[in-house]
Amino acid sequence: MSKVIEKDILVGTRVPKMDAPDKATGRTRYVNDMVLPRMLVAKILRTDRVHAKILRIDTSKARALPGVHAVITADDTPQFGIGVLKDNPPLKKDKVRCIRDEIAAVAAETEDICDEALALIEVEYEDLPPVFDCTEALAEGAPVIHEDRPDNIAMVNEFSSGDIARAEAESDHIVEGDYNVHYVTHCNMGVSCAVADVDYDGKVTLYSQTQYPFIMKMDIAPSLGVHPGDIRIIQPPVGGAFGSKLDVYPYEPICVFLAQKTRRPVKLIFSRSEEFIASPTRQPVEFKIRAGMKADGTLTFRDIDTLLNNGGYTSWGATTPYVTMRTCSSHYRVPDIKYRARAVYTNNPFAGSFRGYGNVQATWAIETHMDRMAEVAGLDPLEFRLKNANESGDVSPQGSKLNNIDLKGCLQIAADKSDFLKKWAEYKEGWNKPGRYKRGIGIAASLHNAGGAKIHKSDGCGTILKMDDYARVTVITGASDIGQGIDTVIAQLVAEELGIPVRDVTLVMNDSATGPWDVGVHASRTTYIAGNSAKRAALKAKEQILRGAAKQSNLTWEQLDLRGGHVVQADNGEAIIPLDRLLRQMHFAGQDAELVMVTDYYEPPSEPEDENHVGDMSAAYSHAAQVTEVTVDTFTGEVKIDQIWWVQDVGKVINLTTLEGQVEGGIAMGLGYGLSENLKIENGIVKNPFFRDYHVFTAPEMPPIDMTFIETLDEEGPAGAKGIAELPTIVPAPSIGNAVYNATGVRIYHPPLSPETVARALFDADAGKAMAAE
Amino acid sequence: MSETASQAVPRIEAYYAPTSLEEAVEQIAAGDVAIVAGGTDLMVTANGALRRIKRGLMNIRHVPGLDGIAETGGRIRIGALATMTDILESDLLRAKAPILPATADRFASVQIRNAASVGGNIANASPAADMVIPLLCLDAEVELASWKDGAVSTRTLPITDYFTGPGKSKREAGELITAVEFDAQGAGGHAAFFKTGPRPALEIAIVSMGFMARIDGGTLSDIRIAFGAVAPTPIRAPETEKLLDGQTLDDDLIARALESADTEIKPIDDVRGTAWYRRRLARVYLEEELRNVLEG
Ligand SMILES: Cc1cc2nc3c(=O)[nH]c(=O)nc-3n(C[C@H](O)[C@H](O)[C@H](O)COP(=O)(O)OP(=O)(O)OC[C@H]3O[C@@H](n4cnc5c(N)ncnc54)[C@H](O)[C@@H]3O)c2cc1C
Repeated sequence: MSKVIEKDILVGTRVPKMDAPDKATGRTRYVNDMVLPRMLVAKILRTDRVHAKILRIDTSKARALPGVHAVITADDTPQFGIGVLKDNPPLKKDKVRCIRDEIAAVAAETEDICDEALALIEVEYEDLPPVFDCTEALAEGAPVIHEDRPDNIAMVNEFSSGDIARAEAESDHIVEGDYNVHYVTHCNMGVSCAVADVDYDGKVTLYSQTQYPFIMKMDIAPSLGVHPGDIRIIQPPVGGAFGSKLDVYPYEPICVFLAQKTRRPVKLIFSRSEEFIASPTRQPVEFKIRAGMKADGTLTFRDIDTLLNNGGYTSWGATTPYVTMRTCSSHYRVPDIKYRARAVYTNNPFAGSFRGYGNVQATWAIETHMDRMAEVAGLDPLEFRLKNANESGDVSPQGSKLNNIDLKGCLQIAADKSDFLKKWAEYKEGWNKPGRYKRGIGIAASLHNAGGAKIHKSDGCGTILKMDDYARVTVITGASDIGQGIDTVIAQLVAEELGIPVRDVTLVMNDSATGPWDVGVHASRTTYIAGNSAKRAALKAKEQILRGAAKQSNLTWEQLDLRGGHVVQADNGEAIIPLDRLLRQMHFAGQDAELVMVTDYYEPPSEPEDENHVGDMSAAYSHAAQVTEVTVDTFTGEVKIDQIWWVQDVGKVINLTTLEGQVEGGIAMGLGYGLSENLKIENGIVKNPFFRDYHVFTAPEMPPIDMTFIETLDEEGPAGAKGIAELPTIVPAPSIGNAVYNATGVRIYHPPLSPETVARALFDADAGKAMAAE
Repeated sequence: MSETASQAVPRIEAYYAPTSLEEAVEQIAAGDVAIVAGGTDLMVTANGALRRIKRGLMNIRHVPGLDGIAETGGRIRIGALATMTDILESDLLRAKAPILPATADRFASVQIRNAASVGGNIANASPAADMVIPLLCLDAEVELASWKDGAVSTRTLPITDYFTGPGKSKREAGELITAVEFDAQGAGGHAAFFKTGPRPALEIAIVSMGFMARIDGGTLSDIRIAFGAVAPTPIRAPETEKLLDGQTLDDDLIARALESADTEIKPIDDVRGTAWYRRRLARVYLEEELRNVLEG
């Protein structure tokens, strides 16, 4: 009797992150570490003006400096814009529009020579009147930033459903509020860096930190004057991206121009200050909200108008309303909706995409507003939210089909585990009691796409899977890894299907020349979409293997299974043949020879929005809720986070370790957004381009986080999983704001809740009370 | 109207690592060298291209006699190269001048504390320099060495009289800080150090405060109050000290002390905080400390 082999379940276990040992021990070679033979280094000369005509650029002294190989300006390069509206030429010719603008670039033997050469470039400007504020930029007679858009409007997005006038008339309460959210930036540990290499035939290889290698070829090609097919993107490991590398930014075409010109590999790397000044920010937004409800707290309508400070050029920041709008229209049941977003050009730096996209901003506004409405309705924050919560089967006004969701479960579990209602009532009693330190507790929740987002013609991902003679698997996926751990998840899914150890799976995932197409890493989509594609490829390979095995057996292939490196009989687990031996037999079979080598392209069943912004744009949706308990020092305004309870609908836990990692990292970013991170921009100039004065949340500050994951088992997702990576950044800030309100009775509308902001708000509230008492 | 649009950092062309005080000060006198001790200020400003650094770089860490913490003849001497970690871990200071380790404990992070020197903290002359606050309270003296007439010459300046503005002091271009010294007598009384920041570490103070006093049955004497980041230099608050001297604390005296301190500080708005917030914090810290004393 042969041995019996049980099925190894890998999904749901803590498989260690595959890249962790190398990263922890310093073996990983990031783009930033790359050195190619004969490589030159490059630097960019940026303007020190916010709005000015360029009258003259004189590079003659820089060109004459020994060790300098090329100095380029707009005159040496195609003038083709990059970015979402193609309004940003990599090197500026006639005019600069914000402080980061690229004037010239140098390639030289060393960084020091680059610096010296930059200092030798003379630029003559004629300053133009600047404008920094959206409302001022919209006013009659405001300075015009782009001559072809005299109204300074970069983009408008509107959605409306139902009849707001009727809904207003039918409402018992209407609550209004302004919420302005600020500038923050990604703070990647690995600063922006690219290495470009151009061959004898003009073909370009770009070593890039990009998050979207395949579409990037198309986006960067026109600005380079190169056919997209002649561009190869290679993605060495990156030190973080978080959305910042989802567009082409000027430094990458500039790096290629210099490689084209010098015929040598060129590396361009930012300084830390440059990273703060010249990489994209999160989109700042001014929200104006009117929302109505019945006397019992049932929501009736939301009317939301937003202004986005677009800065000098248009990257993804201007498109964040696509996501903001979904939260405004689809988070809680709101029958009638009106939403408008206008992105307005100014002379500020400009925003890109950033983990959570427009939803970090939306959730701050909506969840703060919900807390205020609950108070007007006379309900506690939990009951008010539960009353209006979406349930499975709901179709939102924008057409999101909310199937297999559990918002109520998220809210209820977070509240139960934290003893929310009891503490909330007790802390509220403390408002008028003396005492320097006040405790508070707050709740917030949000909704996010969890099955990709169909914003391109395809939201798909390809996989090529092959097996060798030793039953080792190579998975070539289109997916990009920016540290989130998709390599580990794919290896787990594939290994489980093929009945082999995770370590026998090798991922190849960093080269547009070998990898099949994928949209890119964004929108919490990769586990869902690349995971599905990999799993489907593994199932195809499994079928091929089992059919091969069935030929030598009296069983059909459906009666066989793969377990523990063997082909086994499915019903009793009896081992039939070791997998590697079978693969060799299939391979070395003369004219019948076959290699196990399969492909798959997975396209999720989502649909693009129509011209009215209606469409079920994601294949899945999910929710998370957070309760945060704080202690507020009412004298200094310092807010200490005592504890967080986090509950998220993840569909299915595939890997608890990487899931917890994503949640902790996301919450750290969310806490920074709510409490400490603030890119201070005054008159277009970044005032704190250093970690010394820009405060990210650091490890010793992290509070304890109690995590609960709800498994709703998505019908389409791999093993039932949904995308999880963005909600942890989205939800924290308003839960903190709501907790500070519960502690002090003072509402803060504009993050971050820095000590000074809180101290000032408390002081002003006291002064207000004193005046009212007189 | 033509100008260069970028102020790049010049290259460092020479590196010196003197092994005696003579060699060091002679080289400084010869000119155009930037002194580096821990480098935690120097490298930040150089890398951020905030300030032009000199063409020569002089590492003073091999100069003997610039490190160490010791007591001789009733004076405690801290070498310029003593790091924040040295101060934090010094048994002598814990016993005899506890305000110094208390301050080191709130200074940056472990990594920075291992490198940051007391000499660098003073030389940098930031209005927010933390270690200067307890040294002001201790009436420390700064010892400076320079090259004069072919020999090392030293002088001392009281730290209360040392700073002249943000980044500015009475130290002359050719002078090296060799040590700080103060009387052991009187350094050991009641002491406290306050600093802003929700962060456990790595925070440049928005406001800092040092407080020392002798407390005899509720009566205060020998009071020293110093504030950081509320004026162009770290300051003492002499009027407030006088007001409290020989008095017994009560609510009224505390209120007057707070008013007094408010007139002695001259904060400004900057990227880390507004003048309003700085005034508020100075008041909060002093009130908290005086109430701690009152309530024992
Ligand atoms: C992340 C971070 C956190 C920080 N946190 C704090 C903080 O909490 N509190 C605080 O006060 N500071 C802080 N700092 C600033 C800095 O660490 C301190 O000022 C430190 O004491 C400087 O000492 P150093 O030895 O590193 O000086 P260096 O950088 O070596 O030198 C600083 C300056 O002093 C000059 N210099 C150094 N030694 C001498 C000498 N013996 N004689 C004459 N000139 C000299 C140098 O030429 C240079 O101009 C922080 C810095 C960083 C990077």
